[in-house]
Amino acid sequence: MRRGAAGRFAAAVDPLRLAGPVLLAAAWWAMARALPPSLLPPPLAVLRRVAADFLAAPELTYYGLDNASLLGSLLYTVQNVVLAVALGTALGVVGGLLAARIALLRAVIDPMMLTAGTIPILIAAPFLLIWFGVGRGSAVALVVFNVAVVLYLFARRAAANLDPIHEAAARMLGATPAGAVRDVLLPGTVPEILGGLRIALAGAWGLEAIAELLGAQQGIGKVIEVLAGATDVEGIMAALLLLGAVAVVADALAAAAIRRLAPWTTPARLAAA
Amino acid sequence: MTARRTAARDRWVTLGVFMALAAAWQALSLVFTAEAQPGEPMVPGWQVLFSRTLLSMSDYFQGGFGIRPISEGGVRSYPAAVLSLLGNSADTLLRLAVGWLAGALAGTLLGLAVSWSAWSRRLVELPAQFLRTLPLLAMVPLFQLWFGSYFIGKVAFVAYGVGVLFFAGVVNAVGNVPQIHIDNARTLGAGQWRLYGSVVLPAILPELRATMLLSLGAAWAAVLGAEYLGAQSGLGYIIVFAQQFAFLDRMFLVALLIVVYTSLSFWAFDRLSAWATRWAPAAG
Repeated sequence: MRRGAAGRFAAAVDPLRLAGPVLLAAAWWAMARALPPSLLPPPLAVLRRVAADFLAAPELTYYGLDNASLLGSLLYTVQNVVLAVALGTALGVVGGLLAARIALLRAVIDPMMLTAGTIPILIAAPFLLIWFGVGRGSAVALVVFNVAVVLYLFARRAAANLDPIHEAAARMLGATPAGAVRDVLLPGTVPEILGGLRIALAGAWGLEAIAELLGAQQGIGKVIEVLAGATDVEGIMAALLLLGAVAVVADALAAAAIRRLAPWTTPARLAAA
Repeated sequence: MTARRTAARDRWVTLGVFMALAAAWQALSLVFTAEAQPGEPMVPGWQVLFSRTLLSMSDYFQGGFGIRPISEGGVRSYPAAVLSLLGNSADTLLRLAVGWLAGALAGTLLGLAVSWSAWSRRLVELPAQFLRTLPLLAMVPLFQLWFGSYFIGKVAFVAYGVGVLFFAGVVNAVGNVPQIHIDNARTLGAGQWRLYGSVVLPAILPELRATMLLSLGAAWAAVLGAEYLGAQSGLGYIIVFAQQFAFLDRMFLVALLIVVYTSLSFWAFDRLSAWATRWAPAAG
């Protein structure tokens, strides 16, 4: 469905649409009134907690966290995710496009990647903890692994979906093989690859967080882990809310970047993801 | 080359790749003999995996069938090891299956209820999007505090992860039903219930195939995450428990088993959903 700027604006300020989040907050508040605050704190208390702990959370230092603020922990997590997504994208896209062009490579890598695409990548987390320790490495490796697999599959499929007539026409008009890759294969596959990037990014936050939960020195997942040890539901929800907000913003940024970088993109069908 | 012959060749290549991987692992275990701790090789060869490692699985046996568990003075044995693997697999698979069914049912029903009118659909659009963007795996501790770290806690967590996906998938699929089908049914006198039963439900099934496969992946990740972070049994529990002692061979054996289960479950889901939507023209 194509909508003009006016239509988008109308959808953005649709009062019924905007009433949704208010309703969600109201439902949360009503449930919090019925349950003890140690089980479900009201939304305002969680927001206050976010504000209070954002720059400095002295109580976190008691649990041995170096970086005792939500902002600092969040920055650590964001750095890891950005690093891992960049690395994983490079690996996955190059691998996927190469496999699409070289039949032997495809025959060898495809079975592994298709299997890796169905198993939960989380299974690798305990192994990575032993191999890379509890530092940044194991969490980043887990996310890189996941992003690379998703983008390999998307790049591979995008190249396969590309009608060979485009390349044949370019070659007939005198394009060199390298030129055909640059001017046909890359622009032709970028939209679908960027769609895959958004999906991989969405999954990256949860994987990074659970990698930190399983073993890390800092990060928002580590904060959630120590607060879980103290059965501090309010603190956990504050950290989750912040992480969720970052994930929403990152997804919106990625969507905006896709519109700018690949304006010829037909709206990708991300619905199922 | 015909498509069928290509497919047959690809199957042989796939088999060859996995045989080569298994052989490479064995070669690596012979070359790289470092030990995580005395007697625990970093890269356990197959002869170790299927003898000593398999035997060590009896440590996680909780008793039954007249075999005493290790904790009550039993000795390691192959029957105990196999029963232990079966029992822990059953725990994990039961959590997965019950959670997936509950989540799929609840998500579908809620999605259909919300799709009843265009108003309610607009109302839930943003909250649903937000809940779906919240990183699921980061929420394990929250669910453990709410529902405990026993069966219910894991089932609730899996059900939540699956339910959110199904809810969004159903709302989206109902929105994509061509208006002309609905108008035609209405013109022919169908009421709201009839419309749902004979137009909307069949129309959304093909599009829900993608949601089903996606939710199965989410369910596996959820059940593993929940078992990693606090469980008394299950395959994920064995992996994390073994990790604390750096028993790489045990982790590897159980991880292999999980890979087999997930691959089988995806294959079965794919076949089942293809069969259920076999009447539909090729779509999504």
